[in-house]
Amino acid sequence: MSSAILTEALTKRYGRRPGIENLDLEVLPGEIFGFIGPNGAGKSTTIRLLLDLLHPSSGRAMLLGLDAHRDSVAVRRAVGYLPGEFGLDPRMTGRQLLQHFGRLRGMDDLGAAPDLAGRLDLDLDLPMGRLSRGNRQKIGLVQAMFHRPPLLILDEPTTGLDPLVQDTFLQALREARDEGRTVFLSSHILSEVERVCDRVAIVRSAHLAALETTGSLLEKRRKRMVMVFAAPIDAAVFTRLPGVGDVGFQAGPGERQITVTLRIDDGVDGVIKTAAQYTLLDLRVEHPSLDEVFLGYYEEEQP
Amino acid sequence: MTGAGQVWVLVAHEIRRRWRSLLIWGVALGALGALYVALYPTMSRYIEDYMENAPGGMEQYFEEFGGSMTVEQWLGSEFRVGIAPIALSFLLIIMGARAIAGNEERKTLDLLLSNPLRRSQVVAGSLGAMALSLAGILVIICILTYIAALIAGVDLGPGGLAAALVALWPLCLVFGALALLMSAWVRRAAIAIAVPGVIMVVMYVVESLAEAIEAVRPYRLISLFHHLGRPMEGDFPWTAVLLMLAGTCVLGAAALAAFARRDVYT
Repeated sequence: MSSAILTEALTKRYGRRPGIENLDLEVLPGEIFGFIGPNGAGKSTTIRLLLDLLHPSSGRAMLLGLDAHRDSVAVRRAVGYLPGEFGLDPRMTGRQLLQHFGRLRGMDDLGAAPDLAGRLDLDLDLPMGRLSRGNRQKIGLVQAMFHRPPLLILDEPTTGLDPLVQDTFLQALREARDEGRTVFLSSHILSEVERVCDRVAIVRSAHLAALETTGSLLEKRRKRMVMVFAAPIDAAVFTRLPGVGDVGFQAGPGERQITVTLRIDDGVDGVIKTAAQYTLLDLRVEHPSLDEVFLGYYEEEQP
Repeated sequence: MTGAGQVWVLVAHEIRRRWRSLLIWGVALGALGALYVALYPTMSRYIEDYMENAPGGMEQYFEEFGGSMTVEQWLGSEFRVGIAPIALSFLLIIMGARAIAGNEERKTLDLLLSNPLRRSQVVAGSLGAMALSLAGILVIICILTYIAALIAGVDLGPGGLAAALVALWPLCLVFGALALLMSAWVRRAAIAIAVPGVIMVVMYVVESLAEAIEAVRPYRLISLFHHLGRPMEGDFPWTAVLLMLAGTCVLGAAALAAFARRDVYT
């Protein structure tokens, strides 16, 4: 089966400023793929290249086996797209917008729109000029999904949504994946990526910084360990260990107790064996959030 | 759905979205035409009285009217260098400018282009919406003006009236298509309005001044308004109309090429 999305050395430059450089990426059918990075990193540029809204300076992109530029009409027939920023005609209702888009797609009805609107608590019969920011975002989500496309490309999809609606939306994405559909979403809200994405690409300064499964990305990076010892210990025993950093000592919480915190980049074995030489009262391993992982990549690559 | 079917969906959507505004334009300009017709009997008598009492030197100036001003001459002047042609041209310039650059600035173009449409269909749909909207407005103007003629008892042939309005159609479309080309090319709605707007006003002023100032007359050839001729008096400008329609097609094709090549931004 061909890739849902495949880019080969995809590059877009705005004059001398790079939008995205030599992006090689493969998104597999039936996965939820997160594309994360800070603002201006190249996420939206990449997505707009996939949709043929921008023309690449070099390289190419294939979606569902179709060339993003040469077969752009067929691509957009098979893709549901939510732009990062979009405007809506304030006089039209959501229903009228969806009817118009449905006609352009040759649909006789509103497809999945009534169900999606119900789940997202969206009134399709209000003029869109009277909708709040969150409800306008819901219109964008519904128009991307109502024709049940095999590939969803969503640029910052949860912007403006309240937490409950975010949950509902993320559940809808999981259901889409379970039906075998593919979701490609960009975000800088990493908690949502952590919750739904199977794989994650981190993009920074127009370059791909990492591409991992969400699980391995979380697993391999920077665990933090907190240990409480019954009595003061020699600090150097931990700072000497390989793969250990950011070692901190703090008195308490008891009278003679001492709390040691440290960052583990490699395995925990050396730290555990060292700590076992003393009277250990408590031990916690804190897994980093994806935010910390992402910031780690970001800090590492700072010049 | 076929490509032509999608273009029709775009045209119908645009007209449905704008029908109130188009109706207002039609009724307003139709009321103006009706006013001209209603005023004609009074104006005609006034001009005849004036001509009878005019100094000898003025007779040459009035020869153009053949001794008196007919309703066709009176109304034809309004449809050539009056408010209607400039107002309708400006309406189409606005529509053309908003079709691409305006929608891009309002960030609505992304959503539209997320549908399985070729960019050429968006251009064709915009041009089609302009052409049909203008046709609708001209029909309203024609009906209201003719009704006013019947009520005022003015002998106005419907054929001549329709011919004058039909001649306006390609003239306004040329300016609308130029705005569409600018809209497809430069991404800025203000520029897409300004360029054809200035060209239209210059042409209009040249033609208006040429009526009264001898020295300007050689330049009226550059004005599309001049080439409208006198269709109400049986002189339908076939050549000019066909050339203006051809010009509209050329400008539309250029808009298509410009839009197909460029990036779309939010």
